[in-house]
Amino acid sequence: MFRHVVRRLIAMPLLLLGVASVAFLLSHLTRGDPLASIVPERQMSNPAVVEAAKRRWGLDRSLPEQYVVYLRNLLAGDLGTSFRTKRAVATDIGERLPATLELVLAAMLVGTFSGILLGVVAAHFRNRSLDHGARLFALIGSSIPVFWSGLILLFVFSVVLGWLPGPGRLDARTAAPPFVTGMYTIDSLLAGDLRTFVDALYHLVLPAFVLGWAVMGIISRLVRASMLDVLSQEYILTARAKGAGERRVLLNHALRNALIPTLTIVGFSFAYLITGAVLTETVFTWPGIGSYAVDSARSLDYPAIIGVTIVGAAAFLIANLVTDLAYAFANPRIRLG
Amino acid sequence: MRTDTPTRTVLMLGAAVVAANAAWAGQVRAAEGDTLVIARDMDVDSLDPGRAWCDTCQIYLNSVYESLVGLAPDNRTLVPGLAQSWDVSDDQSQFTFHLHPDAVFSDGSPVEAKDVKWSWERLRNLKGGASFFMDPVQSIETPDDKTVVVTLEAPNSEFLGIMNAPYTGVANSDVAIEQGANADPDADATDAAEPWFLENSAGSGPFVLETYRPNDELRLTRNESYWRDQPAFAEVVIRQTKDAVSQAQMLESGAADIAMQVDPDTAKSISSDEVTVEMVPSFNFVYVALSPGATGNQVPLTPPVREAFGYALDYEGIIDFTLGGEGDLQASPIPNGFPGTEGLPLPAQDIEKAKALLAEAGVGDGFAIDAIYPNVNVYGVDFSTMMQKVQQDLAKVGIEANLQPVTFSVWRDHIGGDGIPLTAVYYAPDYFGSGQYAQYFAMTGDSGWSKRAGTDRDPSFINSTEAELLAAALASGGEEQEKLYHELGLEMIKDRIIFPLVSPKLVLAYRDDIKGVRYSACCNLPLAELSRE
Repeated sequence: MFRHVVRRLIAMPLLLLGVASVAFLLSHLTRGDPLASIVPERQMSNPAVVEAAKRRWGLDRSLPEQYVVYLRNLLAGDLGTSFRTKRAVATDIGERLPATLELVLAAMLVGTFSGILLGVVAAHFRNRSLDHGARLFALIGSSIPVFWSGLILLFVFSVVLGWLPGPGRLDARTAAPPFVTGMYTIDSLLAGDLRTFVDALYHLVLPAFVLGWAVMGIISRLVRASMLDVLSQEYILTARAKGAGERRVLLNHALRNALIPTLTIVGFSFAYLITGAVLTETVFTWPGIGSYAVDSARSLDYPAIIGVTIVGAAAFLIANLVTDLAYAFANPRIRLG
Repeated sequence: MRTDTPTRTVLMLGAAVVAANAAWAGQVRAAEGDTLVIARDMDVDSLDPGRAWCDTCQIYLNSVYESLVGLAPDNRTLVPGLAQSWDVSDDQSQFTFHLHPDAVFSDGSPVEAKDVKWSWERLRNLKGGASFFMDPVQSIETPDDKTVVVTLEAPNSEFLGIMNAPYTGVANSDVAIEQGANADPDADATDAAEPWFLENSAGSGPFVLETYRPNDELRLTRNESYWRDQPAFAEVVIRQTKDAVSQAQMLESGAADIAMQVDPDTAKSISSDEVTVEMVPSFNFVYVALSPGATGNQVPLTPPVREAFGYALDYEGIIDFTLGGEGDLQASPIPNGFPGTEGLPLPAQDIEKAKALLAEAGVGDGFAIDAIYPNVNVYGVDFSTMMQKVQQDLAKVGIEANLQPVTFSVWRDHIGGDGIPLTAVYYAPDYFGSGQYAQYFAMTGDSGWSKRAGTDRDPSFINSTEAELLAAALASGGEEQEKLYHELGLEMIKDRIIFPLVSPKLVLAYRDDIKGVRYSACCNLPLAELSRE
């Protein structure tokens, strides 16, 4: 297994380099004016301004030249400067990625635990009203567009009932905690600031639920199917015959084995949500990597597009590796390498 | 009675959450009196006063870097800013500004003439978005610490108005130079201060930059060294909120004090009795434009064809369809209320006249035209909805508009390349003055829109009268200037290139306890005027 991990880790930078090169080529070949976020419309017809902008941002060079410069900088750890924000792409990503990680982790916690619970309940009460109810709830979550459910839940819980705060990671009147991880819940706890922690947690509830609800559906269906499969195995019958209580049979014997296929979905969902949470981020004004990616694509912000692509690819590669390792750990019959 | 352990745990957790909620809510309300929260879709492209060019930048620059000249709430009268007074030569070609003796930067150092000269030269030499403001300037002299003498290349009676634009705000040159800024002729290649300006400020305005996180929030704090009356709020937070519905929700829930981009439709859905919603006229407008010089034209866009186009459009219907009636007709590319616009003939639909003109032009059977436009929602107008209405109107006279919504960067690529036969765009004023519109929209041959419309490829629609009228207007003042701009407006209508569709009303949406919310022609929303009851 160690050799397998090392091989994967060695291959990762090469794969990311390939991804960056493809992203570079595709973004530069896409029709559009990359100066749109640099030179305002009013000055488009001013040759001096346009030439100055092209020189400043290296857009006056040929494509191969631009690629070599980009690659050289990338190998030195420099992802370039965003045309849009005028800041280092690494800085932008360093701010946005923890925001998305915090949201996705919370959503995965909600989605995974709720999905497992619903799946177990559905399997145990198969074909009865609890099964139907659990499956319906999960189906709704994975079917409703997140921008719709997000807006409706915001309206109900924030505007009408006033139980939960509005969009954003924190109340605007609360200053962000000192940066350690970039995740406000963790950073505020580390700073001993309970007020900010509670504020951050309250702001996390709705977007995490909306995103987690979508994941819950997939996980609960998979857990239900796996549980039904496992519950029909002979060793379950043996456990019951030996006098094991139903809770023990469900949780200790059946669920542990039924969860193994779920690991793959959890890993995949996590990686997917890193860049796929853009709609939730937009509705809840959550300044994450997904909305950064969309804004960058719209503006043809080359450095930011490539930077986000590298991050997204890395997320998938790491998530796949962790999932494979977790799978091998959970199922001794699996051998990696 | 023995309570089950899980149940007891749940009860204790619930009690803790309720207690935390109470503590949190109490703490947040205590801070409310000092902090103003504005929900806005920020379009910040830079916070460097020499490079910034955006609507949110106007709010920021006006609050942090003061200009020499201010604009009164009537959006017409120029008032002292950093300049206490000024003298204008009879021929409108030399302007002498006398700086206020009390004006200081946020670090306490005095605002001096050298800072003005440096800031303006840097603005020009960075060749950024607002560099064109310095195009009329021939020289800037500083005979003493408090006097700035500007000599122009040609008479320009609007120069004072230009000096009101937030983009001409003055920075502390000593501080900025230490951070890598310079005003040298090659500043566009050598200036390195933009990263610093994204985290710091060096102005004399009522606020200073606290933090900026792109597409998240812009946080300003009160400038404790401000040389005039302190602003009411200790802190202003502009919170990035992309869509109007979310902005309205934040307003209703109290998470925001002002929502800046609520459209008329969303405004109608606001039901809270703690929120004020007002519709006020604005100087912004949305227009469609024809490009006779675009390579993609399937028929020549001759004057009768262009005139027919103008008569085909149902202007009132477009305003109803896109804004629920909350907008005004506009006669020419100069906004309603600007010098020269009084009495200009408003556009009106006339289908029969349009058909007759097309027949006269030899295209009575109709033709197809590509309509490529940015897929945006600006000033409450959804461009796709608007263009569908335009398409319907044109179809009634036999013109088949082939709608192609694209992203802004793709639109820029088209408009800057082969041109676009029919497009839709928007415009907002940079300062109060009609000259800017003629400089941009008149078919003089060297204006922004003449090049875009393709006068290089087809010079037949260059209107030399407009250049003469503009020069004369800039060299005059008072009634004479009004008359000249009026003639200029008529000429720009006759060009039949730019067709203003609507001047959308601006929705001012804010919590009842907020005072001073108004629309400013130069600066969108003057933060220093705001207070909480």
